[in-house]
Amino acid sequence: MPVLELRDVTKVFPGVVANDSVSLALEEREIVALLGENGAGKSTLMNIVYGLLSADEGEILVDGEPVRIRSSRQAIDLGIGMVHQHFMLVEPLTVTENIVLGREPGRFGVIDMKTARARVAEISKRYGLHIDPDARVMDLEVGLQQRVEILKALYQGARVLILDEPTAVLTPQEVRELFAVVRSLVDEGLSVVFITHKLEEVMAVADRIVVMRRGAVVGEVRPSETDEVGLARMMVGRDVVLRIDKEPVSCGDTVLDVRDLTVKDDRGLEAVSDVSFNVCGGEIVAVAGVSGNGQTELVEALVGLRDAESGSIALKGTDLTKSDARSTIEAGVSHIPEDRHRRGLVLPFNLAENMVLGDHRVEPYATRGIMHPREITAMAKKRIADYDIRTPSEKVIASSLSGGNQQKVVVAREIGRDPEFLVAAQPTRGLDVGAIEFVHRQILAERQAGKGILLVSLELEEVLSLADRVLVMYEGRIVKEFNADEANAETLGYYMTGGGGAKLVDDAGDAQAAGSGADA
Amino acid sequence: MNGSRDAVTAQRAWMAALQKIGTPIVSAILAIAVGSLIIWISGYDPVAAFAALFKGAFGGPKQVGETVLRATPLILAGLAVGYGFRAGLFNIGAEGQLMMGGLLTAWLGVQMVGVSPLITVPVLLVFASFAGAAWAFVPAILKARVGAHEVITTMMLSHVARYVVSWLTAGPLKAPGQIPQTETLTTSAQIPRFQSIFPEGVLEALPFLGMGRAHIGILIAIVVAVGVWLVLRYTTLGYENRAVGLSPWAAETAGVSVQWTTVKALCISGGLAGLAGAVEVMGLHHRIFDQFSAGVGFTGIAVALLAKNHPLGIIPAALLFGALSAGSGTMQLEAGVSQKIILIIQALVIFFVAAEGLVNWFIRKRQKEATSGAE
Amino acid sequence: MLSDVITPDLFAAALRIATPLALAAIGGTICERSGIVNIALEGIMLVGAFFGTATVLATGSPWLGVLVALVAGVAISAVHAVASVNLRADQVVSGTAINLLALGLTGFLMELWYGHPGTTQPIETLPPVFSFGAMGEGFIGEVWRWVNGVFLSHTPLVYLAIAIALVAQWAMYHTRWGLRLRGLGEHPRAVDTAGVSVARGRWVAVLMSGALGGLAGANLSIEQVGVFQEGFTNGRGYIALAANIFGRWTPVGSYLASLLFGFADALQIKLQPFRDVIDLPPEFFLMVPYVVTVVVLAGVIGRAVGPAAVGVPYKKG
Repeated sequence: MPVLELRDVTKVFPGVVANDSVSLALEEREIVALLGENGAGKSTLMNIVYGLLSADEGEILVDGEPVRIRSSRQAIDLGIGMVHQHFMLVEPLTVTENIVLGREPGRFGVIDMKTARARVAEISKRYGLHIDPDARVMDLEVGLQQRVEILKALYQGARVLILDEPTAVLTPQEVRELFAVVRSLVDEGLSVVFITHKLEEVMAVADRIVVMRRGAVVGEVRPSETDEVGLARMMVGRDVVLRIDKEPVSCGDTVLDVRDLTVKDDRGLEAVSDVSFNVCGGEIVAVAGVSGNGQTELVEALVGLRDAESGSIALKGTDLTKSDARSTIEAGVSHIPEDRHRRGLVLPFNLAENMVLGDHRVEPYATRGIMHPREITAMAKKRIADYDIRTPSEKVIASSLSGGNQQKVVVAREIGRDPEFLVAAQPTRGLDVGAIEFVHRQILAERQAGKGILLVSLELEEVLSLADRVLVMYEGRIVKEFNADEANAETLGYYMTGGGGAKLVDDAGDAQAAGSGADA
Repeated sequence: MNGSRDAVTAQRAWMAALQKIGTPIVSAILAIAVGSLIIWISGYDPVAAFAALFKGAFGGPKQVGETVLRATPLILAGLAVGYGFRAGLFNIGAEGQLMMGGLLTAWLGVQMVGVSPLITVPVLLVFASFAGAAWAFVPAILKARVGAHEVITTMMLSHVARYVVSWLTAGPLKAPGQIPQTETLTTSAQIPRFQSIFPEGVLEALPFLGMGRAHIGILIAIVVAVGVWLVLRYTTLGYENRAVGLSPWAAETAGVSVQWTTVKALCISGGLAGLAGAVEVMGLHHRIFDQFSAGVGFTGIAVALLAKNHPLGIIPAALLFGALSAGSGTMQLEAGVSQKIILIIQALVIFFVAAEGLVNWFIRKRQKEATSGAE
Repeated sequence: MLSDVITPDLFAAALRIATPLALAAIGGTICERSGIVNIALEGIMLVGAFFGTATVLATGSPWLGVLVALVAGVAISAVHAVASVNLRADQVVSGTAINLLALGLTGFLMELWYGHPGTTQPIETLPPVFSFGAMGEGFIGEVWRWVNGVFLSHTPLVYLAIAIALVAQWAMYHTRWGLRLRGLGEHPRAVDTAGVSVARGRWVAVLMSGALGGLAGANLSIEQVGVFQEGFTNGRGYIALAANIFGRWTPVGSYLASLLFGFADALQIKLQPFRDVIDLPPEFFLMVPYVVTVVVLAGVIGRAVGPAAVGVPYKKG
């Protein structure tokens, strides 16, 4: 009997059917991968199972018994645990506090911290997930934070563990560690649902693969019965080009010259240390690294959102080190921000107003403080057509567009400004395959047109397919530089975690063991 | 199956559009309804009370004039608070900035002798708005540099302003006599009433033009409202103001200085409040005295919220509150209901506008009934 | 002159004046820690003071008045809870509405019940808890004069405020309630997915701040001035908010910050008789608490960062 079963589950939101009569069964000690591109409805489905959303139709059965899961508490009581894509951790609290929240041991409302710590240590040992119980979550790196999330689910007594896009923030080595952990959990009697859009992971870890597309299940296979190409076709509904062919790079003059750049983060610690690199016209340089190694601060310094402590940034000879965001834009640097909802768009503005963001002070859109609506509308209409943005008009507000179309607005605006240099940070995050292809095409077109491009991405696939050169960033430094043909996921991952003697010599003069990061 | 889903999504879009205009109207109605309930529970007749209120607000040219009179500073105060809201700032201390504008007007207005009102009035308006802007400057800087919550800082300065007025009207600026008030403004500093503009014959033929105590400050207020609307809609200042109010991160990324926009917005808001004080002093009081502002700054909050911070919508909203204020005297006299009920209704309006969810709930309930009928 | 100013009474007054601020500020701390901004403290205090006074006028019992004040505070804060938690309204606007509502309602009821605006009849107040005599002259007598004067001459709610500060501080860091409270303000979704109800936690926090605000009002009318006067809270609710910020969102911090404000106000009062020496009009002294508040907010060392999710309505899913 399946440990968890969904029958004809349907969920409708205004304007979209997120889940369309989905049926799914999970057997004991089984790893089922739920595969689909962004927007296919996988997370929605699992949020229903975890009680965060309620289904409009259909039923859920646990151990053969129909259940109504109306809250996370009920899901937890039924033995369902979930590790979300964006962690559900309270950063200022400790590991132990986060794990026991909701089921704190103790009497009369007072928390018995000693017992709490003991229980955490016990589970930690039993499943081989080592952690410091008194560490504050905000001080932990991302891979360890995920471990806390898993421990939390285990502490709450999960028999079914749902992992939502767990590898988005991990290096290849950490991904392998995670798979090992998952398999050992299954050996201990758990069942796992693994949500992802990454084909190679699914082939490596799943017992069974369920493919979703546009809210419906389009197929169920075993890894032995298929391959990445076949899965991609099921996911998208057509043949997908997995690797883009591009012309060899033809480097023009140096567009961006960064020397000895040091940048501090919000806490006053050095996030970027003595970084130097340059980008020539017609070249895509990618910065690869695990999130949190200074990429965000580097981008912010380059586009004028953060001051540099020391070093210099020059655009075709013009010094931009001390420039603010406005001057940097006016100098010819465009920026596709990593968070389109926060930094890329003013969601309540309509498309025309969003299209002129950043150019709203200059001709032809404004003269001495007075804006010209006609020019702005004409520009917006043209860009909507050129970039095939699906919208009834330019007067529609940005929040009503799909993620892919929203990103198209951002891309249209930033590229439409005809910049000298483009900084693209996570430009395809959360997008479906069609939109990803579109963005990649635009970036390559800029490359073709002789512009310099800096691509910052956590997706190694994207880095490998687009970049002419790859810089690996670790703990604020560029630890290795590759030409495109020398780079592959394994070696990139190795340097991303500090391997290859990249660790610094510390004050006492002892060099850390070379390759210490490669114990994986 | 699919047909009903399409119907649902289409209907939800239609309802969203209706909500935008409907919410303020429904909020106002709900507030008056709850106010009536309170009147009834207190043992009075709500119908008689509101009839008296209506009579006091619209019963004749003199009453209409009173409504217009009271609405005049409310338009400007509403613009002040509303402009701040558009930038994401809550200028709760508009009352204090208003007082400072009125104070400067009262002080300077006494000294402008023998100058034409066509010069004096605009000059005083400009100075008063600077006074209001200056009073908002410290909170503005503190908000921009250290993130100090403008609700607390502007409120504190509002209390300080109260004491400053109290001190000056009883001390250094006191006019000769028993009452603690400043000297009367010179005629050139006074904004004329409608009554005094029209010639006798016209007033006899069309008495409604007389309008009691109403003065042409209302025209100044309307012009300013249109001006603010144009600024918000067609200038970079207005664009950046709105962008920062809706999404400061995106604005910053696009090169807008959030700090500078914040300072500008709160100072402009203070300036508009100062203008309200000036108009009130030049058009009505012709002097200042302790508590001359009479809570106009706080009523401005209700006006702004009811109009959803839209500069043109503030005009009808101000007229509504002006009417409530004008009619409250008659209501107390004839129906015996304390004027304080107006404060309560004001608060309820703010509450219901903020609690849009309640209105949305009504709308969604009707929606569910409609869709279940479709199946 | 200095010896006329630095007396036990100065510090006792500081404690006295700080008490309503502290009670309200701790209420603000608890509320904001759960993620809800409570601008309505001013209105809650006013409502508590009014209904407390009305009860004493009707029954003659100050303690019953305190109880009713507490209940009234809870009742009006429930309105804020509905708006903020269930209706997901803008919390600052909702709080402002309640402040205005409180002003209007208390004024309205004053006229309805007592026939006139302004100030009520005087009421019987709560007496000090202890009343020790002097201990003679000499060194011990002087020390006792100070200890007794500063610490042992107070009315019950003053001591209650200190006790509440200490208990709340301990509870916030050692109980289930406290852990969940801290989670709610930082990351409500994390708390929700752990199976704890966000709505219930926030409702409780808002009602607690209502109770404390009501007590603050009771202290003001039933312990300090002995009457109710329209609008006599005079901005204390906002100062309490500043105290919470200065105290970094902890109960003990809020208490100490309130003490600072109380001291400034007490000092200002003590200096008033010396106006001729200092040569300033009385209004300038009265301004002191408000100016101090602005200065404190300006100089708060390192930007004071509150709970990460404060002020943001929570939506499931």
